[in-house]
Amino acid sequence: MKKKPLILAVDTSCDDTSAAVVRGNTILSNIIASQTELHKPYGGVFPTVAKQAHKENIAPTIKTALKRASIALKNEINFKNKTNLTINNIDALAVTIGPGLAPALEVGLNHMKNLAIKTGKPLIAINHIEGHALSALAQRSARASKILKQPEQLIKANKNNIKYPVLSIVVSGGHTQFILFDKIGKYKIVGESIDDAAGECLDKIGRMLNLGYPAGSTMEKFARSGNPKTVTFPLPMTTTKSCNMSFSGLKTFARNYIEDTYGKTSPNKQQIYDFCASAQYGVFRHIMYKLSKVLDKYPVEEIWLGGGVAANIKLRQIIRKTIKEFEKNREEKNQRFVSKNLNKNNSKTVTQNSKIIFRTPFTNKLCMDNAAMIGLVAGYKFGHGEFVKNLDNLERIPRWKINT
Amino acid sequence: MDMVIINVKNTSADEVINKTIKVLSSGGLIIFPTETTYGAGVDATNPKAVKKLLTYKSRREGRPLSIAVSNKNMASKYVFINDQANSLFKQFLPGPVTVVCKVLRNVLKKETQELTKMSGATKTITLAPGVTSEFGTLGIRIPNYKLILDLVAQYRKPITATSANASGKKRPYSVDDILENLSEKQKALINLVLDAGELPHNEPSTVIDTTLSTPVTLRGGLNGKNDTTVSSIISSSKTETKEIAGRLLLKNWNEVSKNGVIFALNGNLGTGKTIFTKGIAEFLNIDETIKSPTYSYIEEYDFKRHQTTGKLFHLDMWKVEDKNMFDRLEIESLIGKNNIVVIEWFDQITRFISSKFGNTKIVKVLITQKENKRILKFNNNE
Repeated sequence: MKKKPLILAVDTSCDDTSAAVVRGNTILSNIIASQTELHKPYGGVFPTVAKQAHKENIAPTIKTALKRASIALKNEINFKNKTNLTINNIDALAVTIGPGLAPALEVGLNHMKNLAIKTGKPLIAINHIEGHALSALAQRSARASKILKQPEQLIKANKNNIKYPVLSIVVSGGHTQFILFDKIGKYKIVGESIDDAAGECLDKIGRMLNLGYPAGSTMEKFARSGNPKTVTFPLPMTTTKSCNMSFSGLKTFARNYIEDTYGKTSPNKQQIYDFCASAQYGVFRHIMYKLSKVLDKYPVEEIWLGGGVAANIKLRQIIRKTIKEFEKNREEKNQRFVSKNLNKNNSKTVTQNSKIIFRTPFTNKLCMDNAAMIGLVAGYKFGHGEFVKNLDNLERIPRWKINT
Repeated sequence: MDMVIINVKNTSADEVINKTIKVLSSGGLIIFPTETTYGAGVDATNPKAVKKLLTYKSRREGRPLSIAVSNKNMASKYVFINDQANSLFKQFLPGPVTVVCKVLRNVLKKETQELTKMSGATKTITLAPGVTSEFGTLGIRIPNYKLILDLVAQYRKPITATSANASGKKRPYSVDDILENLSEKQKALINLVLDAGELPHNEPSTVIDTTLSTPVTLRGGLNGKNDTTVSSIISSSKTETKEIAGRLLLKNWNEVSKNGVIFALNGNLGTGKTIFTKGIAEFLNIDETIKSPTYSYIEEYDFKRHQTTGKLFHLDMWKVEDKNMFDRLEIESLIGKNNIVVIEWFDQITRFISSKFGNTKIVKVLITQKENKRILKFNNNE
């Protein structure tokens, strides 16, 4: 078996500085230096603050990533080299060049460019969304699996048996996309949000309920104590054939409902819980309506989930339910087809559809903006020799689309 | 002083409270039950005690603490309770919600004095250094747990309300959960444990920050001094709103090649400011999807229409609350020949602008909603 390359990856696309060491799909380390506290007074990411913090964090974050990966490697049974992992043992460098905040991307890009020049290691430029799209493939290191007593077979089964076409659903505070592909590296966006991202929509609805900003995580917590059927949110974009999504209408609906129903008096605790549950359900129902449409339109063998909202348990549940319903309908359709053709004495057989496989990242850390997913993608590009040819010409692409 | 464990289930509340108050007054560290997890508490006004707590928690990386008070009245001695915080107090407290508020100026001031003096327990009721965040904010908690509410009410001073586990360790629902994961050094810092057995496994409290000035509704309107006449158009669909935006830009097209144009958009959350910007982008033949710039503040797009090539900047000022923040965005550097700058929530920054935008024409647009229709008002002062 060919030896998998060791890759040092960096992501500075938004507010977290992240560095990771990855070997193939195996995550040896994944360090995230969060700036959340710094950005708190701004309720989002403040461009100049982000840039400064990335500059301060990047070198120590890389150092920690190498150190943790060293420990992970030493714990592997067949790893003979007992010396520490340094930059010299790394086969290639990887860095996110888009999409993201321009000033933030710049810090990671410049740092890795310099590192590539200094060490002579090849550099691989990665699309951040591709990282989220493939994050479900990530594997624990042998040490982590040992600690968690995860059965070997499970790891193996996950590893090489990808059945294409795959549909990746990326849902985060900045993106909501359906990405379809027959092979890693060549993607088609079959649907995406045309305005706010799903996460942003929930953040703003939470703001209308006085839950601060961004309120997405508070919404998720409160939704657990509420009844999602209390307020029926509209289902947007049902008259168009496209699989695109739009969340601004849900935002408007929420505002009107809050004004009309609660007016000058504020809602009580249970009403807030119920509204949070309903809004979250409204947002997810819209994504599921479009997901069903995608499944009707395109053959799909596997569905992968990635992005910040992928950590939401309710979203995972509702996707599983949607897949089940789709499979049930497909089965019924096939049955009808069979019986119809039997009557005609037609011996044509119906192709047996296999069950759709649903994969999610093994840890919530992989749902966040992180460098491990960037290193994972870089592993595939390494195999194809997709290195940056001219370091001087490499520039950030703040709105880089995965299909271009 | 050795660690004392009191079983609160078979001890009278009065006795528990009396003993605890003694420990707190002498700067001791207590472990106490709440409706969520066990908490680690010290007198929040005692600098030595707070220092002890910070040593106990270790590796907190500058995260602020929160304090437990017995009611809103007590909270208002330390923090400013704005409308938003007020309704949260009413809706959720006592209960598992931490409300982050701005610390009162005099409390903050005294806190810095304490920092230089470090004179141990003082008579004045001020918070000890390290309790509030570096941004002058503080989390307020009113636990829905009678014993603790009574304790704080009788002690008449707030106690810190951080969870009792060492940073990064298991959530503490029982005294064993805590002790198992502590070093001997940490254990030695605990003076008193109020053991209420295994607590129901409720989630830690939800933190809601009320210190950001992100508005839901607009403060002002379209009544600037220079707006001689105001026109309004009614739009009944998104497509119409986009068309109106394009027409407004066309009307000001001559300005674009001179000094550029600024579109100053105002309108409540969800009225269609981004839809309007989409109309501008369509007029400029921009293929890319225009997405809300709320998170990133500024988005940038290249355009080419006829002979003109330039840039469209899409800004969101929703979260910009002071002049310092505004200056750091350096918006004036975006303005100029062939550039179109669309600014959502312009109202938020009018007070900071002064002469920053030079001779560039500002087209002000106010979008309001009436039933399903949108009313677009704009200044018409040519």
